[in-house]
Amino acid sequence: MSLAIAGMGWVTPLGSGIDSVWEELLDGHEASATTISEKFGDRSYSVFRVPESAMAGSAHPRLRRASVISRFAAVAGLDALRGAGVELGSQNAERTALIFAISNGGVIYTKRFYSDIVDAGAQSASPLLFPETVYNAPASHLAAILGITGASYTLVGDGAVGLAAIKMAEDLMANETLDHCLVVGTEEVDWLVCDAYRRWRLVRTAPPIEPFSEQQRGMLLSEGAGAILLARLPRHSLAEAGGSPLTIECAHPGGCFTKRAEAARIVKRILTDLGQREIDLVISSANGTFVDQAECSALEQIIPETLVYTAKPALGESIGAAGLWQVILAAKALRCAELPPVLHAPAAITLRLSSSRTSLSEAQRAIVLSCGLNQQAAGLRLAIG
Amino acid sequence: MVEPSNANGRKATARVAVVAAGVVSPLGFGLNETRNSLRKSRDCVGPVTRFSVAQCRCKTAGQVSDDRLLANRGEAPRSQRLHRASHMMIQALKEVVAQAPQFEPDLTVIGTTSGGMSYGEHYYRSLRQAADLRHAPTWIANYPAQKPVMDAQEFFGIASPCQVIANACASGTNAIGHAFECVRSGRYERVLAGGYDAISELVFTGFDSLQASTPEKCRPFDRNRSGMVLGEGAALLALENLDGAHKRGAPILAEIIGYGISTDNFHITQPDPSGVGPRQAMERAVESADILAGEVDYVNAHGTATVFNDAAEGKGIQTLFNGVPVSSTKSMMGHSLGAAGAIEAIVCLLALQHQFLPPNINFAALDDDLNLNIVANDARPAVLRTVLSNSFGFGGTNASILIRKFEA
Repeated sequence: MSLAIAGMGWVTPLGSGIDSVWEELLDGHEASATTISEKFGDRSYSVFRVPESAMAGSAHPRLRRASVISRFAAVAGLDALRGAGVELGSQNAERTALIFAISNGGVIYTKRFYSDIVDAGAQSASPLLFPETVYNAPASHLAAILGITGASYTLVGDGAVGLAAIKMAEDLMANETLDHCLVVGTEEVDWLVCDAYRRWRLVRTAPPIEPFSEQQRGMLLSEGAGAILLARLPRHSLAEAGGSPLTIECAHPGGCFTKRAEAARIVKRILTDLGQREIDLVISSANGTFVDQAECSALEQIIPETLVYTAKPALGESIGAAGLWQVILAAKALRCAELPPVLHAPAAITLRLSSSRTSLSEAQRAIVLSCGLNQQAAGLRLAIG
Repeated sequence: MVEPSNANGRKATARVAVVAAGVVSPLGFGLNETRNSLRKSRDCVGPVTRFSVAQCRCKTAGQVSDDRLLANRGEAPRSQRLHRASHMMIQALKEVVAQAPQFEPDLTVIGTTSGGMSYGEHYYRSLRQAADLRHAPTWIANYPAQKPVMDAQEFFGIASPCQVIANACASGTNAIGHAFECVRSGRYERVLAGGYDAISELVFTGFDSLQASTPEKCRPFDRNRSGMVLGEGAALLALENLDGAHKRGAPILAEIIGYGISTDNFHITQPDPSGVGPRQAMERAVESADILAGEVDYVNAHGTATVFNDAAEGKGIQTLFNGVPVSSTKSMMGHSLGAAGAIEAIVCLLALQHQFLPPNINFAALDDDLNLNIVANDARPAVLRTVLSNSFGFGGTNASILIRKFEA
């Protein structure tokens, strides 16, 4: 079943708003890294944070005590609806499903909550913080803001969870009484998460992220949200889409790998399944880690001539939000017939990467590939026209 | 006759069979021990042993015995490193595989709330107190919510993609419900579904801080109820297209026939007092199954024994189902959060297979504002054909599934 992308919302370290972030990427800009530290930690980490200026529209009373992860999600979700020209009332809210993709969840409040317990004992645990530590808190806030009374799901996973959420949306939208499904990926960054990934040698201390580098020096974490509003194709008019419809032709169920060395095998299978049609570009999840090798190897074998792009050097690795960001990138590339430059990639690489803006005239199909850091991989195929 | 539809009216294409089930919980390891505990009305809640609760109001929980859980894990270093939640999932899947060795799922859908949380606690506490961090890579690797699912699948050579649903305390029922819809729609032939959660200090203390947990006995729907106690466990159901299951001669344990989901936006931790959220979920499950509410023979309630939950759920039940027997088996084993819906689905399965009503223990007198037929304190025989299981969670997530005795 094909689904139309009716609207999109984007909150990133390069700001918010689909067109604004896209222009920044086309111009070859990358987010500024900031350094975060922790009073009990002996190291600092570079991360890409969302600037406060990107958070206009997150002042809803429901979000007063919420962590930034919920605010990112609300801004992106509301933007996606606005972009689609969809206003939810009591009737269509019931016909709209909400799916969230999350990896580490509300880690800032979780750390604060547990820190109080460690420092001063259980009696100091905050009943205000605890509900915000629950994985589905961001979904709950957005559902309340939008008045959604039907299906709401929060999926947890690694970087592939965003595409898994779209796969779930595809399954839910087989339901003919659902008109829309709003899929939101969101993540917030914290020192604790950086330190955890560092212990698996997955983060580097400072920019840049060097995709597809043999050295695999690691990633930098980032934060933000991405949202897409999906609609069933026959009911979705061209006017709503603002031009030729962008469709998710096929969301692959993906798979799991138990060892890093097996990641390439799963990615190859996904590429083989999705590559049955002519593919013009691939939005990769390459982030400077082992993921790059897995994707590079699979791409070289299955579709070696296809143009490949990754935005992670510019935006960082946002894990739960990353898959949604990649879908937005694919949609914009197909719609604008252009691809931003890939930053900081090695010169000697067999993949087709471009270090400058690249025209994509006649491009019709893209594959979005996501190989997560915790053993999950997924993919989907997007088309225009 | 109108064709059965899903929770929101989709035309159905397949009947959905439960072809195998596995469970580990405070009630016991496996279906037989669980059934025996239910029939004997065993109170499986005891003092918390895994961490200090000296500063908590509540001191008890339903816990899975480590002596048994870890006894068969083997000497392999990798197995030694796995989180308890992984061992619970392995134990539950072992029972499924023993019943249905040919069952190869197209998809696995599992509910949880906190993954390997206690490993996250070890990591943070060690960092905070500048303690030994040699095991940090192991804690970190086994912390993600999807890890126990993948560990269990790997243990039995299952390689299906997995979706991990974290809809708070409704997660397990949501997972089974979504899996049911995946098979019913014809998009999937076989889906493994269920839930797991292992008790952790952070979550235990969180519920204690909200004063949602009780220092007394857990007394769902009782006039003097004072809160919940936590539990833990894992449960799995193998769902398959009924025709496909028949063709390969698989034994059919029961059918899932309906699923309802709703979201009420009243408050992040409290249900709408009118009971609208639970009522909508139950109504949608009944509509989805295309049955009459009067056909429901038993309700396994969410029944946490908090003042607000039981009041809202009770109103929903009494509005829809006149005089139906109701019990909350959380009174016996505690609230296992993401596993609760899956364990309670298995309680329903056993009730259907063995034709008895599971008990709501610690019950003295019904809340004055409720009009419910509580299965008080003792299991009793009954003729059951269709039963409903409820799960509700933080964030206003509500889910109900309907399970029917299989009749060829």
